[in-house]
Order: sequence, then structure tokens, then C-alpha cells
Amino acid sequence: MKKTGPVVFGFLIGVLMLLHHFTPSSWIGDRYNNVLDWKQVVFGITLILGVISLFTYHWKKIERRAEGWGYSVITVAGLIFMIAVALIFTPERGPYPWMFDHVQAPMQATMFALLAFYVASASYRAFRARNFHAALLLTAGVIVMLGRVSLGELIGIDSVSTWILDFPNTAAKRGVMIGVGLGMTATAIKIITGIERTYLGKGA
Amino acid sequence: MTTEARPSKTDAARPRRPLHDWLANVDRRVIFIAVAVATALPLIFPLNLPIKTSREARAYYDEIERLQPGDEMIFVFDYEPDLMAELDPMSIATLRHAFRKDIQVIALTDYPGGPGIAERILGEVAAEYGKTHGTDYVFLGYNPDYSATMLRMGESIQATFPTDHYHTPSSELPLLQEADRYAEVELLATVTGSALAEYWVIFAGGSYGQRIIAGNTAIQAVLIYPYFQTGQLSGFLGGLKGAAEYEKLIGTEGAGLRGMDAQSMAHLLIVCFIILGNIGFVLQRRYQRRLEREQDGGAKREQGDGVKR
Repeated sequence: MKKTGPVVFGFLIGVLMLLHHFTPSSWIGDRYNNVLDWKQVVFGITLILGVISLFTYHWKKIERRAEGWGYSVITVAGLIFMIAVALIFTPERGPYPWMFDHVQAPMQATMFALLAFYVASASYRAFRARNFHAALLLTAGVIVMLGRVSLGELIGIDSVSTWILDFPNTAAKRGVMIGVGLGMTATAIKIITGIERTYLGKGA
Repeated sequence: MTTEARPSKTDAARPRRPLHDWLANVDRRVIFIAVAVATALPLIFPLNLPIKTSREARAYYDEIERLQPGDEMIFVFDYEPDLMAELDPMSIATLRHAFRKDIQVIALTDYPGGPGIAERILGEVAAEYGKTHGTDYVFLGYNPDYSATMLRMGESIQATFPTDHYHTPSSELPLLQEADRYAEVELLATVTGSALAEYWVIFAGGSYGQRIIAGNTAIQAVLIYPYFQTGQLSGFLGGLKGAAEYEKLIGTEGAGLRGMDAQSMAHLLIVCFIILGNIGFVLQRRYQRRLEREQDGGAKREQGDGVKR
């Protein structure tokens, strides 16, 4: 029962979600909506689990004075502070929006902005025409990089860039998408029919 | 008592660094400084490089342009502060365009970090056009689980979001009484730096036939070309250039247009460094081959001498 129950449950829910697309039945429509509502509730609970897991991990690190425990203190303090101010003042008022606008937003934006520097350094080191394929990739990369900014239009390279994106890029992406789509369909059928049971954990 | 003279740096017998070595191994600090200068200078001294409108941006603009005053549009802030620099200009321009045409906007976000961005932008642009929350626009906030949210909104927006971001029951929001499912909304626009544009196409477009336009980061834009070609995506903006093109189309200068010169210079600089690196790489390879040939020649000569003796 421990194994059969979840498989039967998975089969019923899977078939229900599938049937919704093929029948105008309001009963099936209502059950479909129930499943979607429950899915959101379960997702919300996973967020809470994530917060508890993050807290426990860093708290243990602080207790053990493990390497880098100082960073864990900042993480835990930030976590408690943000949750506390949101509960006391609500997320729309008080220190919560201020912390978001003046601490979280600038920090995240700064981290992402640093990528520009690392991308420049990494592309200088990695983009070397070692063989024909590397040279091809390098040429396409340079054309698209220039074609996607105003400078590319000025030197007339934008049409070549658009061609690369429209044809070789789209052809490759379509191939990947079809492969992924077929794989997802096969996996979904295997889960619904109970062939694929890894989601039940080890030994299922 | 004599002291030994310390060799000065200039006196030291340091081999001169060959050009190929210098070109192939530029110090990364030099690259960092160059990028900083190339980005900052055009912001201080704008170059006003020309901007041509792409067909994707034109299609994005046309989709909003064809809406009539009073029509409803869903706008999704699908990003967090890390992408503000690239995506905020798109969100601001889209909302300006919508509010200018008196289109009613139902805004939401699929990211926990999205509400802060959405509140700021909606507040600023709504104030600019004298729009009121509840009647002209609503902000529904963040809902966990994007896939369930996207699918559930096709059945009922009020059921998906029982309250808005400010805890007002959805049943009391006049705007949601007129539009409660995709079938009653003319257009959906998502601005994102992730695969969420694809998911909107699959869940809202595929399952409910919702018309969709998307604003994407330059990296992500490359991946959604197939959807635009098939018409599943009615238009899209790609990166800061897309934002700049759209700003030009709606006739307002924003951060997109202002940032294009800086981005152009940064890209040019990166390309220059790549070319320099490759010149260094080719010269280095030639140098190494020459060395190998010389060593081989020397070894053969020594072998030949040994045989003669």
C-alpha cells in the first residue's frame, strides 16, 4: 500500500489533468481547479520548508563555529529581521520596503553588474580560434554581439546578426525543443502509468 | 664595512616580455578598468548612436497599439532586482504606453522579489498618468507556483488571487469584475529574464489561446525566436536594445535609449579584446612551432656530428 497508494493517486490525478483538455465536463473542470489550488498550497509549504532548512543549516554552522560562520550570522540575522519587520509592519509599510529598495535591490543589482567585467575577462581568455569549430563559434559570437547593439547597425552588421538568430539559432533551438517535448511526454506517460517511480524515493 | 649594492629593478636581468605573450595574457585588472571606462564614458558623454527598430519590437508595439481604451491587459513583472537595469526600462515603457492609451492593467509577479519592483514602477507610472489603483490598474502581488498560477488564471483570476497585494478582496476590485479570465483579457505582457516567457506561451497561450508579448533579457531573447516565428508570441523585446527601440517607438526617452551607447562601447571593447587575444594566440603558436623546429634542427645536427666522429 505504501508504494501502490501513491502510484494509484498519481495515475488518477494525471488522468484527470489530461482529461480536462478533452472534455467540457464541469465536474472535471472543478476537480482540475481543485488540483491547481492544492498545487499552490503545496508550493507555498515548500517555501516555508526552504526557509526552515536555510535557518537550520546556518544555525548549526554558527553553533559549530564552522569555517565562514560569520557569514551565517549575517544570513540568519537578515532572515529573522526581514520576517520580523514584515510581520510587525506588513510588507507594504515600515522598514521592509526600505530594506528591499536600499539593501536587497542594490546588492542584487551590483552582483549582476559585476558579470559584465567577468564576461569581458572570460570571453577574452576563452574565445580562441583553436580549430575550425571554435573559429566558427567565435565569428558568430562576435557578429551577434555587435549586431545586437547600435554600433552593429552603424557598421551594417545587424542584418547578418538577425540572419544568425533567425535561422541557425532557431533551427538548433527547435531541435532541442522537440527533443525536450518528446522526452517530457514520455516521462509524463511513464509517471501516470506507474513505470517511473523515482519520485517516491529510494527502493520504490 | 661594505654593503652589497641591491640590484635595482631596472638593472635586473629580466627577459623582455614578447609581444605575443603580452597580447595573449592581458592582466584581468586591465580588462576590468577598460570595461569600467568604456561603460562610464558614454553615459557622461552620450554618442547618440542611431537605433533601428527591429520587427520583433515593432510587433510588440503594434500589439499594444491595436488595443482600444478600456481594454484589459495583464502585465507580469517576472524578474527580481538583479535584472532591473535591463528590464525596468521595458516595464516602464510598456506601462507608459498602456496608460497613455487608457488600457486597464492587471499586474502581478511570479517572483518573491518582484513585488518591490512592481510597486515602485506601477506607483511612478500611474502617478505620471493620474491612474487609480482598483479601477485603472490593480496589483495582485506574488502567488507561489508559476505553472498553477498561469493555468488557474485561465479559469478565474479572482480564484487565483483571492486578494490583491494590499489585502483588498478581489471581489471588491472593479477591474476584476470586468476581466476574470484570459478570455476576457485582450493581451498578456511578461517582462522576464528567465524561461517564464516560454511557460506563459505554453500554459496561457497553448491552453487558453491568450495573445502574448514578452520583454526579455538579451540572453533569454535568443531562446524565444522560435515562438515568435510561429506566432505563438506576438512580439518581443530583446535586451536593452529592445527597450531602446520600444522607447523610440512610443516617443519617450528612458534608461533604454540612454544605456545603448554604453552597451555598444562595452560590446566593442569585448570584441577588441577577443581579437587581441586571438592575434596573441596565433603569434604564440607560430613562435612555439619555430622554437620546436629550431630545437629539432639542433638535435639532428648534434646527431649528425656524432655519426661523423
